[in-house]
Amino acid sequence: MASSQKKRKTVSYSHWGYIFIAPFFITFLIFQLYPIIFTFRTSLTDAVGWEKILNNNIIGFENFRQLFDSSSLVYGKFWGALGNTMIMWFFNFVPQLGLALILASWFTDSRMHLRAQGFFKVTIFMPNIITAATIGMLFMSLFAYPIGPVNTFLQSFSLSNMPIEFFRSVAWSRGLISFIQWWMWCGNTMIVMIAGISGINPALFEAALVDGCSSRQTFWKITLPLIKPILVYNLITSLVGGLTMFDIPHMMTQGNPNETTNTVARFIYTQGFTGSRNFNMASAASVVLFGIIIIGSLLIRFVLNDHDKPAKSERKGAK
Amino acid sequence: MKKVLSLVLALTLVLGCMSFASAEEGKIKLVVWSFTNELQGMIEKYYLPQHPELDIEFQIYPTDGNAYTTKVDNLLGANAASDEAPDIFTLEAAFVKHYVESDWTGDLKTIGFTDEELGTAFPVMAQIGQNAAGVQKGLSWQSTPGVLMYRASLAEKYLGVTSPEEMQEKVQDWDTFLETAEELKEASEGACKMVIGSGDIWNAYQYQRSEGWVVDGKLVIDDELLDFEELVKTLEEDDLSHKGGSWSEVWFAGMRGELETLCYFLPTWGLHYTLKPHCSSLWDESKTEEENVAAIGDDGTYGDWRLVDGPVAYSWGGTWMGINAAKAATADDAKKQAMHDLIYNFSLNEDWLVQYAQDSGDFVGSAKAVETILANGGTPNPFLGGQDHYAIFASAAALANGSLMSEYDDTINSLWSDYVTTPYTKGEKDLDTCLEEFKTAVAAAITTITVE
Repeated sequence: MASSQKKRKTVSYSHWGYIFIAPFFITFLIFQLYPIIFTFRTSLTDAVGWEKILNNNIIGFENFRQLFDSSSLVYGKFWGALGNTMIMWFFNFVPQLGLALILASWFTDSRMHLRAQGFFKVTIFMPNIITAATIGMLFMSLFAYPIGPVNTFLQSFSLSNMPIEFFRSVAWSRGLISFIQWWMWCGNTMIVMIAGISGINPALFEAALVDGCSSRQTFWKITLPLIKPILVYNLITSLVGGLTMFDIPHMMTQGNPNETTNTVARFIYTQGFTGSRNFNMASAASVVLFGIIIIGSLLIRFVLNDHDKPAKSERKGAK
Repeated sequence: MKKVLSLVLALTLVLGCMSFASAEEGKIKLVVWSFTNELQGMIEKYYLPQHPELDIEFQIYPTDGNAYTTKVDNLLGANAASDEAPDIFTLEAAFVKHYVESDWTGDLKTIGFTDEELGTAFPVMAQIGQNAAGVQKGLSWQSTPGVLMYRASLAEKYLGVTSPEEMQEKVQDWDTFLETAEELKEASEGACKMVIGSGDIWNAYQYQRSEGWVVDGKLVIDDELLDFEELVKTLEEDDLSHKGGSWSEVWFAGMRGELETLCYFLPTWGLHYTLKPHCSSLWDESKTEEENVAAIGDDGTYGDWRLVDGPVAYSWGGTWMGINAAKAATADDAKKQAMHDLIYNFSLNEDWLVQYAQDSGDFVGSAKAVETILANGGTPNPFLGGQDHYAIFASAAALANGSLMSEYDDTINSLWSDYVTTPYTKGEKDLDTCLEEFKTAVAAAITTITVE
């Protein structure tokens, strides 16, 4: 026993492994796990204001009760914000996924042989590199009222005889936020899709070609079913990103007009960092949002994986 | 494992020594926190050379994204007496009330300020630096009274006004202000507008109230605020303003004269740091004023601006110096004296303030110093066609009512704009609906006050 331990000591470098992964776990514990636990705890307290962030009393589920009680002040604001977030996420995600899929299948289609692919991929991906806050400011000045590039353009081409106040229109405000999200993230989704499609065994496409499949058939019958895991991944990351949407609405509209572009993350921000600093309510709302995201993600997984099951059992049966 | 442990220990030691090495022997150490390098610059230029006994450590955090307040809150909330915590820290108008109402800031009298000394500050700035009980906790080196700035050429062309005195009669209160706006519209056939938008008027008009937003823990909607709504709605509906926001492209275009706009409501800093650099698109801030004037020639609006008191005396902005109560309580007499001397020098020391006003053109916080500057012949300003801005600012500073400010002003002002002013003036909702939604929003945002 003693000799084997000694022997192991001379050849074992395993402790270095722990040292190398330690930085991640230390930062994770301090900057992620601890804040998460702290948020859960704060959501159960009466922590209003910085003075009470550390010295507060546990008051149970009162904050959660308010979030789910339709007669409370925050009820309408929180669920209204969730509704806004879902609407803006939907109009961002559907066109984003659609276009990303089309582009990805074009870029990977051996029959199409698109030229200058590198250029197009970079160009489409480019908006993703710019900080969201910068883009928010950019669009805010582009659509400024009463004088701004878009208004000047519309008037000089006689498309409108009065300056349009875009950010007082619900449709324009939400539409612009959805558009920016779509425009920024389309390239990213496309790259992920291309990676997914490239991972499919080319023999399948060749076989389809030999069997006389059209491009459309190949896409619907081969590509789409085989990149389903990638689709699920994309849907879930987009759901998480979409429900925590903050920077663009915050920079561009501040939730206006009349709270129609207020998102859940902005609700949490205004509760926690303006007014009387209601950290308890902000934490409770974060916990509820956390729950909604988990439920949403599980739902997507469940719905999209459902069709696999009979296929699996068929295979088993065949064996 | 031992090696790792010893390495960690050695590192801690080295780091520990490094932080102690900065405190020099025999010197009084002060930690000063601020959100710009303005105070640091002034201390290093004017104060440290005469005070070799001081060892001042500066910490600067920007106010962007609440970085500064978060830093201060975290440290004062958890460990106010620690070495790294500030002895003196600066407070901006947006959050000064929050801190002077808290127990974190100390009474300036505990470090040796006397009533006599405190009495020489402008009342508006002193009031803002007091808590509800009237304890003086902050002092400002500037005061930031606001006035009405107008373009003399437009006033003469459309209204026949040739002097600031005549102009003041045209804007002496908000009713005449509105009449003048209508007159201007008629005379200029709609080309020249009275103001850029409602945001400008708000900064001045809120000082028209007799009570602030929160009185005895209750939300107060002063009747003057409803009059404000009617005023800006009329301006919007009768097309008397450019309908733009403050700090927007339109706002600056008006300053350059590209859009004819008669009035701006701006405070002291707005004259030197906002209006002047934007009076022409050719203005280059890296050059001196003389070089700029030569370069821009006839372009823009340099020299065309004049100041009048306007309908109401108000204040906009300012920076206060406050002390950390926890550290002041444990400081020895020498350190208390040093803290007193530093704050006194930059807020109330007449000799220094007169000198500083000459060097910088800033409007200082001591009424006594301003009197001296005016007695010395004032400050004729070529940007204002030779008018003396100090005289106008002095009367506004003496009249503005600083007791209106509360710690929740920032939040409530923006809620008022989002829930009442904007939807009401644009005709989207009626006033009662707006007020109800505003009250709900305030009650949801500030749970520590009563909303009825």
